[in-house]
Amino acid sequence: MLLVKLQSVLVYTFIWGSIYLLISLGFSLICGVLRIFHLGYGVIFVLAAYGTWAFLDAGLGLIPSILAMLVLQVLVALLVFYKGIFQRYLDREEILLTLTMLVFMAVTHMANYFYPITAGVNLPTTIIDGTFMLGAVRISYQMLLAALMGVAVTVLLILFFLKTRLGLIIRAMSQSTQASLLLGADINKMYYLAMILSIIPPTICTLMIAPFWSIDPHMGASLLMTAMLIAILGGLGNLKGSIIASYLIGFIHASVSFLYVSRFMGFAALIITLIVMIFKRGGLFAGETIW
Amino acid sequence: MVSFELKRDRILMRWKQQKFEWIIEPRYWRNPILWSLLLMAVPFFIMGYPNILSMITMANLYAAITIPLALQMTGTGRLNFGPQLYLGLGGYTSALLNLHMGFSPFFTLIATILICGGISLLLSPITWIAKGLYFSLITLILPLAFLDLTFIYGDLFRGEVGLMGMSPMINLGRITWNYVAYYYLSVFMMLTFLFVAEKISQSRFGVTMAAINENEDVALMMGVNVNKYKVFYYVFPSIMIGIVGWFIVHTFRTFAGITYLPLDFMLKMLIIVMIGGRASVYGMIPGAYFVCFLEDSLRSLGTVNYFLFPIILIIVLVALPRGEGIYGLYHKRHPRDYFPVMRVRRE
Repeated sequence: MLLVKLQSVLVYTFIWGSIYLLISLGFSLICGVLRIFHLGYGVIFVLAAYGTWAFLDAGLGLIPSILAMLVLQVLVALLVFYKGIFQRYLDREEILLTLTMLVFMAVTHMANYFYPITAGVNLPTTIIDGTFMLGAVRISYQMLLAALMGVAVTVLLILFFLKTRLGLIIRAMSQSTQASLLLGADINKMYYLAMILSIIPPTICTLMIAPFWSIDPHMGASLLMTAMLIAILGGLGNLKGSIIASYLIGFIHASVSFLYVSRFMGFAALIITLIVMIFKRGGLFAGETIW
Repeated sequence: MVSFELKRDRILMRWKQQKFEWIIEPRYWRNPILWSLLLMAVPFFIMGYPNILSMITMANLYAAITIPLALQMTGTGRLNFGPQLYLGLGGYTSALLNLHMGFSPFFTLIATILICGGISLLLSPITWIAKGLYFSLITLILPLAFLDLTFIYGDLFRGEVGLMGMSPMINLGRITWNYVAYYYLSVFMMLTFLFVAEKISQSRFGVTMAAINENEDVALMMGVNVNKYKVFYYVFPSIMIGIVGWFIVHTFRTFAGITYLPLDFMLKMLIIVMIGGRASVYGMIPGAYFVCFLEDSLRSLGTVNYFLFPIILIIVLVALPRGEGIYGLYHKRHPRDYFPVMRVRRE
């Protein structure tokens, strides 16, 4: 019995950890590059789910709906968040944080107005249906695919940052914006790029988890909390920290829910993050650089 | 004999050896007594509309939460994302003691002060340990952890529906009179908080508050015991916020963590501070009234109000003078006035 539970902890640490990684990567990226705490990050999840559904509802096919939703995501990220808020209020951070939260609140309630929970939003994004046994643990193919997608997106992002010239510039900016400016980096363009890159992991995440995760207009708040918790635990804006923190939170959730009582899993993660923050200022990787 | 004299910008009133003056231009009116009298007169005009009276009472309570919050944010030099933790602690302490142990509102008030004071004192070292954004993040997590607890121990806290049936603070026999009494009590509490906060900011403590907010290292160099003051500015406003929780319990006679502990409520408080104008504690009152009136007037539009509300707030926040809010429109800042700057990412 204990062996089965331990297997479940192990398998779900990987699955949940990888999904949490997808949830938090974009948030950490913005923290690391723009050095902003993006409290409107939850908008991406809501737009990914409800934007796709709205285009499907309008009669478009799945792929065109996803593409149209991506265009909408880019427009919101660049025009509303970056041009409208971040650029204008970079020196007035309290207003910046309040405005981003208000935009998030407005988008959430708008989604709830047009598609309330009773509308039964259900994205047909299942790639492989059914379940299988891994050792003594039964898991769904879709869940495993979502986890593998999390790993793949992370690897691609790391390769982008380590092996490409653009990645090098973004890493330099995360270390010192002033020095990168002196060396000729086009800061503005890189910020645009970072904003677009930050959309990709949470959008993929929403599409992948939609078949087995409950989709509701207020889902953004809990996913934003998860992203924040991971970013805080890992060290703001550090991708290495985010990777470790994602699997750590995945492990805490899996072990508390399989070995103890599942209702304590959120609380346990909050308390451990709090303890880490008090005793290890700045989280696990407190460098405040992206890598 | 009283004599009046009209000057260019003011009216002078002389009586024996004493002189009173009244500045004509409204933006220079700084007479808190006038505004207090106006607040006292409100029930006479809206006695027949308990909904409006109840809404204004709520606005007073929001102001009573944000006045200490503004004081705390400047005094600790950090943006606090979790004032509702102490609201929840105060509310649950008084509600549970009243329901399960039969404590009267007076004793639940003492217990609230002790519990909020004790817990805030225990947590106050985070004002030294956590710098900048990390402080904001810890304060953001704490009420959410408490909210989780109210769900986990649902038998005790009734996380989903909240606690009900606590004994009222005052019972005058008629519902309308009770509404009026609670209104006056909320005004009294708000004005007391305002008076205390104003006195603190005008005193030597206020100077240290400004020094800490501007630059902790320089304040330390000038001989200010920064850590001691930060503990004071964390604990004292926390107790004040806890008292509002106690007030809610014994007036509305219901208290649910799900109403006061989530991010939405915190956001509302933060918006009141921003829209009212965080440069002065007086700004919290117009801020609270504006947010409450807006929320209530949009309610008649049906479910569309949920997303119209944040959109209007965004427009107001963008349109108002940066950081000075509604109070900034009314009060022309004197060059000597202290204007606190919030630097979230400070080291």
